[in-house]
Formats: sequence, structure tokens, C-alpha cells
Amino acid sequence: MSQTSFSPDLTAAVTTVPFQRRTPWWVWAIGAAVVLLLVVAPLVMDIPTNQMLARVGVFAVAVLGLNVIMGYTGQVSLGQIFFLGFGAYVTAYGVQQEWPILLTFVLAIVLPGVAGLIVAFAAARLGGLAIAMVTIALPIIGVPLAKRLSDLTGGSQGISARFSDAPEWSGLADDQWQYYLVLLIAAITFVLVYNLTRGKFGRALAIVRENENVAKAMGISPYRYKVMAFTIAAMIGGVSGFLYMVVVQYTSPETLAFHHSINLLASMVVGGAGSIAGSILGGFYYVFVPNLTNEIAPTLTALIQGIILLVVLFVLPGGLASIPHRIRRMLRSRRADTDSSPSHSK
Amino acid sequence: MGEFIQLVVDGLAMGSVYAALGLAIVLVNQSTGLINFAQGGMAVLSAYLTYAFAGMGLPLILAIVASVIVSFALGALIERFVMRRFEGGDPDTAVVATVGMLTLITGVCGWIWSYNNLHLASLFPAASFGLLGAAVSWRSLGTFLVILVIMLGLQALFRYTKLGLALRAVADNPASSALSGLPVGRLLMVGWGLAAGLGAVAGALVAPRLTLTPGMMDTVLVYALAAVILGGMMSPLGVVVAAWAIGVLENLAAVYVPWIGHDLKIAVPFVLLFIVLLLRPQGLFGRKTVVRV
Amino acid sequence: MIRTTRSGKAIGVLAVGTAVALLATGCSRGGGSGDGGDGGAAASPGITDTTVTLGVTTPLSGGTAGPGNCTVAGLVAYMGAVNDAGGIEFGDGKTRTVEIEAFDDTYDPQKALSNFQQNASDVFAFTSGLGTPTNRAYREAAIADEVPQVLVMTGDPIFSDREESPWQLGFVPIYQNEGAAFGELLAESGEELTVAVLSQNDDYGEGYVEGFKEAIEGSSVEIVKELTYEATDTSVDAQLTELAATDADVFFNAMSITPLVISAIEKTKELAWSPSWFLPSNTSSPTAILGPAGADPAAGFYSVSFSKAPQSPLYAEDEDVKTFLAALQEYSGDYTTTPDFPHCMWSYMVGATLEEAFKNTEEPTREAFMEALRNIEGLQAPLMLEGTEINTTEDGLPAVSTVVVQKYNGKGYDSVEAFG
Repeated sequence: MSQTSFSPDLTAAVTTVPFQRRTPWWVWAIGAAVVLLLVVAPLVMDIPTNQMLARVGVFAVAVLGLNVIMGYTGQVSLGQIFFLGFGAYVTAYGVQQEWPILLTFVLAIVLPGVAGLIVAFAAARLGGLAIAMVTIALPIIGVPLAKRLSDLTGGSQGISARFSDAPEWSGLADDQWQYYLVLLIAAITFVLVYNLTRGKFGRALAIVRENENVAKAMGISPYRYKVMAFTIAAMIGGVSGFLYMVVVQYTSPETLAFHHSINLLASMVVGGAGSIAGSILGGFYYVFVPNLTNEIAPTLTALIQGIILLVVLFVLPGGLASIPHRIRRMLRSRRADTDSSPSHSK
Repeated sequence: MGEFIQLVVDGLAMGSVYAALGLAIVLVNQSTGLINFAQGGMAVLSAYLTYAFAGMGLPLILAIVASVIVSFALGALIERFVMRRFEGGDPDTAVVATVGMLTLITGVCGWIWSYNNLHLASLFPAASFGLLGAAVSWRSLGTFLVILVIMLGLQALFRYTKLGLALRAVADNPASSALSGLPVGRLLMVGWGLAAGLGAVAGALVAPRLTLTPGMMDTVLVYALAAVILGGMMSPLGVVVAAWAIGVLENLAAVYVPWIGHDLKIAVPFVLLFIVLLLRPQGLFGRKTVVRV
Repeated sequence: MIRTTRSGKAIGVLAVGTAVALLATGCSRGGGSGDGGDGGAAASPGITDTTVTLGVTTPLSGGTAGPGNCTVAGLVAYMGAVNDAGGIEFGDGKTRTVEIEAFDDTYDPQKALSNFQQNASDVFAFTSGLGTPTNRAYREAAIADEVPQVLVMTGDPIFSDREESPWQLGFVPIYQNEGAAFGELLAESGEELTVAVLSQNDDYGEGYVEGFKEAIEGSSVEIVKELTYEATDTSVDAQLTELAATDADVFFNAMSITPLVISAIEKTKELAWSPSWFLPSNTSSPTAILGPAGADPAAGFYSVSFSKAPQSPLYAEDEDVKTFLAALQEYSGDYTTTPDFPHCMWSYMVGATLEEAFKNTEEPTREAFMEALRNIEGLQAPLMLEGTEINTTEDGLPAVSTVVVQKYNGKGYDSVEAFG
């Protein structure tokens, strides 16, 4: 059994009564506290912190996209950065052409989504490793392509697009405005994905992940679900690309270099594959660790990052998001609970 | 015509470079069922060790041998103490663990030997000779022949020796192998050790051409992976043929298909991979795997 | 979901309490809220009465880490020696030592911006960073926050355009400049020459070729074939085969990747093509490239440079070179102690330029610094070749805009006036 965080209990709905329908007051309290913190924080925090948090939001969404295809559906994808880059380029181009920002936003989601759909249509029939290679091809071909289409992309010098300065009516500083924009869009994306994965779609993905033949026997087409998951991952990638432009306001072929995909993958696993909280933690990992290594020893970046990654994997193979699960397990085993109900993961 | 042959010859030379790493990847895959993203990094570390031994005064060939031995040991240790933990579990986590190893090894190389381009001497002379109107360098020919020999050796190992059979058994079904009395742990270590030793040879062949830097094998790794999957994950013959094909076709596409040109020629291996896999999912030389539901 | 009542309630209370506490105290906001420069006398961030702090965001790991480390090593070496001698006496009379903080951006524009944002309020100025996309990524932020981004290691012309980049200044000659220098040499020879071009597929290569083309326009020099390669390519054999087939007289290289230049030189010999070569300033080192490749000086290897090559036996007794190498050994252990890339020499010169600027900085503010920086003329920084100088007074030109054409003589380079 390979799973650590999401094990669908297929018999649960049939034989056991749903555990608790009413969420207890403390969950609401925690939720409210978190929301309050997120909303008020930028008004009191200093600029670099807000900027860092905004960047965390960008990559949390990118990791979320990767999670949809890898964590939830179990298909290796090393091309997520391509969709981020594509979304960023669409945004940059749209801003330069002075299209209405809403149109640019929609296009930044739709165009990468279409690309993902096309790739998935063709590739989803192939085996896992072959799909991985196809996804590797995306950023690797994407970089020279971005350079060649220099009329659209600004070539290797990239495009600068300043559009996320705070508008007059908000009374906010630039970094606060960017933070709120990222927060809003990321929150909506996370809520949408959360609902998607909790429902029938998520359960179907889980079955496809566990065993494709069983899925087929149940009437769930693995091909169709993989294509859908891939397209959704690509659209989320496009969203993260838009947010990237909000925060960085510059893009170049370097944005979609292949080695970023590797970092995203590592961030996903460290945060916790197949989990919403894991995606957010993955975003933190992606943004914080380079800053951390700069503080410790800027010339030893690779060395320190390799050590951190391996240590996290050794100690917490389920990623940081599995910490509550592990604590609960520890507490439970300490109380020597011989519970008869099956251990239900989150 | 001369240009065409030259391109083919150069493609075979570059393809041999990809094949060198690809063979090590196939070996690890055959013996542990994992795709090791750190294979290139390990080969680079081995090349640095060769450089260090040569710097200590050893003649080049001895330096390479010493590096192969040390790399074998390192590979076995890495399997035992780092990868063992991830082998039975989620394959995604195992892949990321190899990525972590790659980052770490690159960082170690950069720390000890810096990021400057270091020069490792070649086993073969720098001269070249003419063949059918094309210029062939002894180094390219040497690399080509060494890869051929290694490939044949690996094929023989897996098909005709007990060790090869045991390695394949352990990769295929560790539980049954253990029950049959095979020393699973030790065999896994041997598998990784052999791959690392092979990587050392690959590094020594490739470093004179690419110059030694911590990231020397990064691009080669992508090509090697494409060759491995194209050739059929478990076949040494397959990966070498696929690597040669990739090297040659890339060159030909760049020169004879102007709209591809030299910047998009990197798409060629992937398009090739895609087409072959659509028609023949197990790769050119792979065997169809049957999975019990 | 948290099931157990006790732990759930506890965390709930804790969460609410923490939220309230954090909001009540709150991190102080207002440190550098980017509202434009303060009044004249108040010091800018990153400078005190005794120290001034410089920031460098540059690739210290990854593919470009070789040159990246050099962009810090030379600067640290120069400032190390200066600090040991007591520091620099600024234009306001105070003597200050120079602190250098280096940040790794792994050539990723997003990280360069992050490094800038995280450190702009602790650092007086950013300098010496490598790369066009990385410098471009934080250029606009530096302009908005009025932070100097000066003497950067990119030949991108935008950094030296005062209107576009009021807080920036390039250091190395713009790429077009170097290409044009060689183009002029060829054009002036009056001969009918055919040229094959191999350039890196980015703004670096494009700039070189653009400058070259402009310089040979209307002359008897003709480009017969033009090809590109990617910085990540493992081999340029295919391009060379194509180019060798033209049998051109001159081979114009705009290549910045060491192993590819070496293999290009070797391959050309194999293909029995012997053109004259042009190599850019950052890939023309005799010890790192021409020697290992077995380059034959009789073929004619030309380059442009503004810096002495320390490894060249010609300069073995040169005072500047000896001081430079000793300083590298003593102070730059963290980065690199051997000048394998010209960026080591260049950042050493950056140190000298900054010293000159600081000497004329009359107030401890960024504005005063920029003014002083833009007024340097005729400075012969250590390691500069005869005929080149630092001149920051011209709009549109970086700190160094004069280069010297040189020809390889088997051991080092000699300056030449004419082609052939």
C-alpha cells in the first residue's frame, strides 16, 4: 500500500453512519482566527513579509495544480511549471496590449487549460512513465519556443508588465494590494479544488490512482478522468502564472525552465501530496528555503536544500501535512486505544 | 553527402554519451524497479573522484578504476542507507528522494570542487581520422566502442548469469525472492553499486568533452531518460539503440528541417518517443508486462 | 478534522488567543514603506557612520555559478584589502568599511526579485549581479523604491539608458559594442571576407551579432551563414558541420559556454576548416579555453577585452595582477580563489569604481551616491588594459565602453590594430 494521507474507505458510506455532521465550535474558531489573521496581517506586517507571503500564495497555487494531477490522481507530471509560465506570458502579453484585466485573467486560465487538454488527450493513454516524459517535454520545448516567438514573448529579454500597483480608491500600499489580490484568487482556487476533491470527482480520482483496472470495472474511465485532472491542473497552473505576474511583474523564458518543475515536485512532496494543507505548506517550502539558505550560506544552496529535502522525506514521508495525523497516531497509541473502527485518515 | 555522414557520425558520438548514462539508469531500474534521477549526479561525483585520483598522481586508467571501485561502494551505501527507506512505498516519494540525492550530490561537488570548469584528460588521443568523407575523432570512436562493450556485457549479465537473474527477481517481486532465499538487501546494494560503477565509467568518458562541472550531466540526464523509456525500460540494447537514434535524428532534423532548426531540435527525441509509445507502448525493445488485477 | 474534543478545544482557544495577540502587538509597519526618498540629510538604509553595506544577487549555485561566484569574489577581494587598510574616506569626511552581502538567485528572476525585496532595506546599493533576466526582474522595483542597482554584469543596453533606468548603470560594455569592435576591424581591412556566425540564442548572442552586422554594413565583409545554439546544449557539432561546409574566412563566435567553445575549436580542426576566429571577452581565456583546445595561433584567434588576463605569462610580473591574485587568495575563500572567469577581474574593477564613487559621495544618501557614480571619468581601474578606462558620464553607455581588439600569440594576447 503506497498511500499515506488519502485512503478512501469504499465501504464507509454503506456500513457506517456518517460520523459528525455538525462541525464543532472550535473548528469554526480556528477557521475564523486563520481568516482574521490572513486578512489583517498585511496591514500590520512590514513590506518584505507581505511580499514573501504573496509569493507563497503564488507557488501554493502552483503546487496545488501539481497535487491535482500527481497527489490526487497519481500521475507523475514534471511539466507544471510550463503552465505557470504560459499563464504568466498570457498575462504579460495581455497587459502590454492593454486588454481589460478580467479578460487577461480568463485567458490566462483558458489558454493553458486548452494546452493541457490537448497534451492530455494524446498522452493519457500512455503508461505512467511515458506521461512523465511527455510532461518533461513541455518546459524543455517551452523554453526555446518562448525565445523563438519573440514577437509575442519578448524573446530572451522577457516582458515587464507592471499592472498590480494599488489603485487610488483602495488606500492600500502596493505590497498590500498584491497580497490581497493573491489571497483572494488563491482562496477561491483552493475552495474550488477542495470541493472538487471531496466530492464524487475526488473519489473517482482516488480509485483511478489506486488501481486503474478496478476503476474500469466500476465504470470509471481512467482515461477520461486523467484528461480532466490534467486539464484542471493546467488551468490552475495558468492561475498561478497570473498570480506570478501580479507579484513578480516580469517573465522570461527562465520562468518555465525545467528545474523549477523539480522544485515544485519536491515542494509538493514535502508539503504533503494529495492534501490541500500540503499545497500551502509546499508553497512555503518553495519560497522559504532559498531565503533560509541565503541566510545560512549563500554558496551552499544546493547542499543545504538537498539535506533539508532528504531529512523531511526521512522523518515525514507523508510530508509536513501529515504531522497532525502522526501526532494523533502517537497520542492514540500512547493511550493504548484498541479502537474497533478502521483508522480513518483525514 | 559528406555533411550527412558527418552528422550521423556526430550523432552516434553524442548518442553514446546519452547511452552511457542510460545504461546506468536501466541497471538501477532492472535491479530495484526505481528510476534514479540522481544517476547523472552520481556519475559526476565519480568523475570528480577520477579527477582527484589523477591529481594525486595516479595514471588515468588507474584513477578511473579506483573511481569505479569507490563509486560501487558509494552506490551500495546510498541504496542501503538512503533509498532503502523509500523502496517499498509510494513511488512518487522515492522519485523525490532521488531528486533530493541529486541536489545534495550537486551541492557537495560544488562545495568541494567549486563550480569552475575543470579539465579531465581523456583515455583516447585527441586526433581524428577520416571515414567515408567524414572526420571521426578517436574519442568519439572510443566512447562508442566502450558503450557497445558495456551494453553487451549488461545484456549477458541479465540474460545468462545467476546474478542477473537474482537481480531481476528481486526487482520484480522482493517478497517472493526473500521467501526463495535470495539475500534481497544485499542484491539491491549490488544493483546500485554496479550502476554507480557504470556511472563512473560514463563520467570518465564524457567529462573530457563536456568539462567537469557539478551540473555536467543535467541535460544528458533528460536525454538518457528519453532513451531509457524509448528503448524499453529494461533493455540495455534498447537504451543504446534509442540513444543513438536520438543523437542522429536530432542532428539531421536540425540541419535538414529548417523550421526546426538548432533551437527546437530538442523536441525531436520527445516527438519520437511519443510516436513510438503510441504505437508500441512497451518501447522499441521492451517486453510487455502483464499485471494481475 | 480534529476529532478529540479536548485537544480540539485547546487548539481553538489557542488559535483565537494568538490571533488577537498578534493583531494587538503586530509587527511594526512603516520601515521603508516605499514612499520615496527621505529628506536630504537623513541617511539612506544600509549606511552608518562606520560601515556601508552592499548587496549582490547573483547565481552562486547551478549552471552559471562559475561566473556568478566570480562576480562576488573580485569585489570581496578588493574591498577586503581596502577594509584592511582602514576603509574608504567618503566625501562627507567619514571613513567607512564596506560590508558585502551576497545572495544566491540560481539565475532565477523570481529569486532575484525576492533577494532584492527581502534586503533592500538593509543594503545601501545592489551591485555586480550577473545576468540579464535576473537584473531585469528587479530593475523596476529598484526604480520604484529608489535603490541603486549599479555596475551590473550584463551587456543589456537598457541599464545604461538614464531615462529608462535612472537608478541603474551597467558595468561591462554592451554586447553590441564588442561585436562592433571586431566588425570595424574587419571592415577597415578592406578585404573581401566571408563570415560564418555561431551565436548563443539569447540577448547576449543577439547583441553581439547586431553590433557586428552594423559595423560591417556597406563594407566588403559578408555573412554567409548564421546559426544559433542553446546555452544548455551538450554539443555544437551539427552547427559546426553546417558552418564548415561554407569554408568561410572568418568564424564569428558569440558563445559564452566554455566547454562548447573548446569543442568548437577542436571540431573545426577535425573538419579541416581553418578560419580566423573571433571570441567574446568572457570566453577567450588562454588557460581555460585556447590551451586545452589546442588552438593554433597561426589560424588567427581574435578577441576583445578591457581587462588583463592574470593567467597570461605576459603579466606574470605585473604589479596589479600580483596584488589581485594575492587579494583573491586572502579574502575570497568563500567564493573562488582562482580567476577562472573574467568576471573575477571585472568585479575587482567594480570595487575600484565604487571606491572612487564613495570618495566623492558627499552625503550618506543614495541620491548623492548616484550623482558621484555618474561623474567618473578617465579612471584607470587596476587590471584595465592600456587604452581602456572607466567613464560613467555618458548617457547610454555603461561604465566600460572601450575595448581593445587582441590577437592570441600562443601564450597570451597582443593588442592589434589591423586584421591579418
